[in-house]
Amino acid sequence: MLEIKNLHAKVASSVEEEGTEILRGISLTVNPGEVHAIMGPNGSGKSTLSYILSGKDGYEVTEGSVTYNGEDLLDKEADERAAAGIFLAFQYPVEIPGVATMQFLKTALNSQRKARGEDELSTPDLMRLVREKSQMLKVKPEMLKRPVNVGFSGGEKKRVEILQMAVLEPTLCILDETDSGLDIDALRVVAEGVNALRSPDRAMIIITHYQRLLDYIVPDKVHVLSKGKIVNSGGKELALELEKDGYAAYEVDAA
Amino acid sequence: MSIAIAKTPAEEVYADLDNLPDGFDDIRKQAANAVAKSGLPNRRVEEWKWTDLRRIVDQAYPPAIGGDVAAEKLDELSALSPFGNIVGSRIVFVNGVFDETRSQLPKNISISMLASADKVGFSLRDGDVIDALNLAYASDGVIINVAKGVKVEKPVELVFLTAPDQPATITTRNVIRLEEGAELTLLETHAGHNEAYVTNCVTEISIADNATLNRVRLQEDGENAIHLSNTAANLGQEANLRDFTFTIGGQTTRNQGFVTFNGENAALNMSGSYMIAGKQHADTTLVINHAVPACESRELYKCVMDENARGVFQGKVIVARDAQKTDGQQSANALLLSEGAEFDAKPELEIYADDVWCGHGATSGDLDKNQLFYLKARGIPENKAKALLIAAFAAAAFDEIENEDVREAFNELAQGWLQRREV
Ligand SMILES: Nc1ncnc2c1ncn2[C@@H]1O[C@H](COP(=O)(O)OP(=O)(O)O)[C@@H](O)[C@H]1O
Ligand SMILES: [Mg+2]
Repeated sequence: MLEIKNLHAKVASSVEEEGTEILRGISLTVNPGEVHAIMGPNGSGKSTLSYILSGKDGYEVTEGSVTYNGEDLLDKEADERAAAGIFLAFQYPVEIPGVATMQFLKTALNSQRKARGEDELSTPDLMRLVREKSQMLKVKPEMLKRPVNVGFSGGEKKRVEILQMAVLEPTLCILDETDSGLDIDALRVVAEGVNALRSPDRAMIIITHYQRLLDYIVPDKVHVLSKGKIVNSGGKELALELEKDGYAAYEVDAA
Repeated sequence: MSIAIAKTPAEEVYADLDNLPDGFDDIRKQAANAVAKSGLPNRRVEEWKWTDLRRIVDQAYPPAIGGDVAAEKLDELSALSPFGNIVGSRIVFVNGVFDETRSQLPKNISISMLASADKVGFSLRDGDVIDALNLAYASDGVIINVAKGVKVEKPVELVFLTAPDQPATITTRNVIRLEEGAELTLLETHAGHNEAYVTNCVTEISIADNATLNRVRLQEDGENAIHLSNTAANLGQEANLRDFTFTIGGQTTRNQGFVTFNGENAALNMSGSYMIAGKQHADTTLVINHAVPACESRELYKCVMDENARGVFQGKVIVARDAQKTDGQQSANALLLSEGAEFDAKPELEIYADDVWCGHGATSGDLDKNQLFYLKARGIPENKAKALLIAAFAAAAFDEIENEDVREAFNELAQGWLQRREV
């Protein structure tokens, strides 16, 4: 489904200087139904990888390729990738003053449907869908009337990210530190929401710093990212090791 | 040392006393002489440094009154008003003359027309060329008096349609008086054809103790128009003025506001928005005078400029020595949608009291890249994402308007602007 081959990337800059590489040769294959965890110390390039997969401007891929369902992903605009089924739950969800959350969800869903050649959803149908998913994620209805992420607490922002994911039903979910800043109850709610979306034809990449989230969302594979490279891969037990020993070993190894 | 420079064609016609309309002869002469003496201000005059009126008024534009305009044209221009279902009455001026057939006068307030008024007691605002030109050449306008305690339920609309058969200056002057405890919502639509003209519209407002005026202006003048306006207001104790101007039309716009607090605990909100493109130029210049203690003033402008459009905001807040407990805040934010767009802001505080809360802020920038990416990452195409963000930016200004229907109408106009621009 997702095939990342020897991906190298740096921050794009207009001056012809050698920017330092942030990603330094990442290869990763994700198949439908799989949940991959990517763990690693701060600054190892986890968010950068998620941005490059979802199509944020400002990075330059210097080597390697990414294909999604056989198609070159790096060629596509961010909105085309979203319509193709890629969803990024942001580490820091962005506030959009003046755009009500419900209107935003409607515009997003219908833009995607239109791009895929599907009929747009009527407002009542959309409201019904959003209400149902909101209940599961304990998002209060009045929050949907408020501007996107404006004045939401850290936990609310993360829950609304997962709500968007539930409404948009992507095929590849990338969760960037969705657990950070959540207390244990919120973590459970979020994890339940994520688990409800697990299905044989949907894959997930869970980026996290801590093992905690992986108690609830059990991954099939765990990768350790350090200084822009995957330095170790294994099963879910790898996450437990990391929890015990920390990242110190990797930071030295990768240097 | 002063060097006599040749008068521009416009300065010539404005200074020619033979062009003065009848009535108020003395004050008209005084005003025309003031214009003759000062000429039109150029960019070396501090208040006009970003709006060189002398250069902008680029041909004669002789003062004109009335004239035939095709009914279809007037229908078309009238249809530019989005307030049709909101207002209870409307007073229409065509080329500076009251048009009775197109008007429906309000019932419970006293209305008269400047053209038929005997004596209104005007005086010339020193050093203000828009006011002097207006006093000299005003042909008509409405004089509204809302009696003590009368709360006018439905908004009243003033419509100014301008379509002279050759380049001309069309001048109107309105006087709005609210007696103690009165309440009025006044909506204004300014629209005109696409040929060149100058429209000069001055409104004198006095709001007595505890009275409230909500005023919203929509400027949709033609693409070659020069729109000059003054709002001069005096507020009594606990009086309220909310004044909003939405500028979409016109080639060049200069909106001046002069507000003086004469009674304590009064409140002013003077706000607005521009959505301009091409070579449009819009300038808002305000002087807010806190002459007495404990009043509150708010100015909030949110301006969208595309292509080579230029926005200007100059806001001066003066706090007199004994105007303690003054609360004055102003902010001007610009969204520049292209490299060629420009915004110049000059907020000024002149504070002579010590126990006040005053502040100002001005920002300008393009769309937020992180917001754009967030929207695109959810599947919203770039154009649509931009349009959403621009509309949201303008909507934040419209939020200053109290009437929800008017806010809604303006949001729709903003959408229309975005669609026309294919943003
Ligand atoms: N836009 C950028 N400009 C400059 N440096 C960047 C930029 N984005 C990321 N980096 C750098 O790349 C490295 C990886 O960052 P990031 O992907 O955010 O790491 P992580 O998410 O693993 O904490 C860091 O050293 C960071 O400072
Ligand atoms: Mg990160």
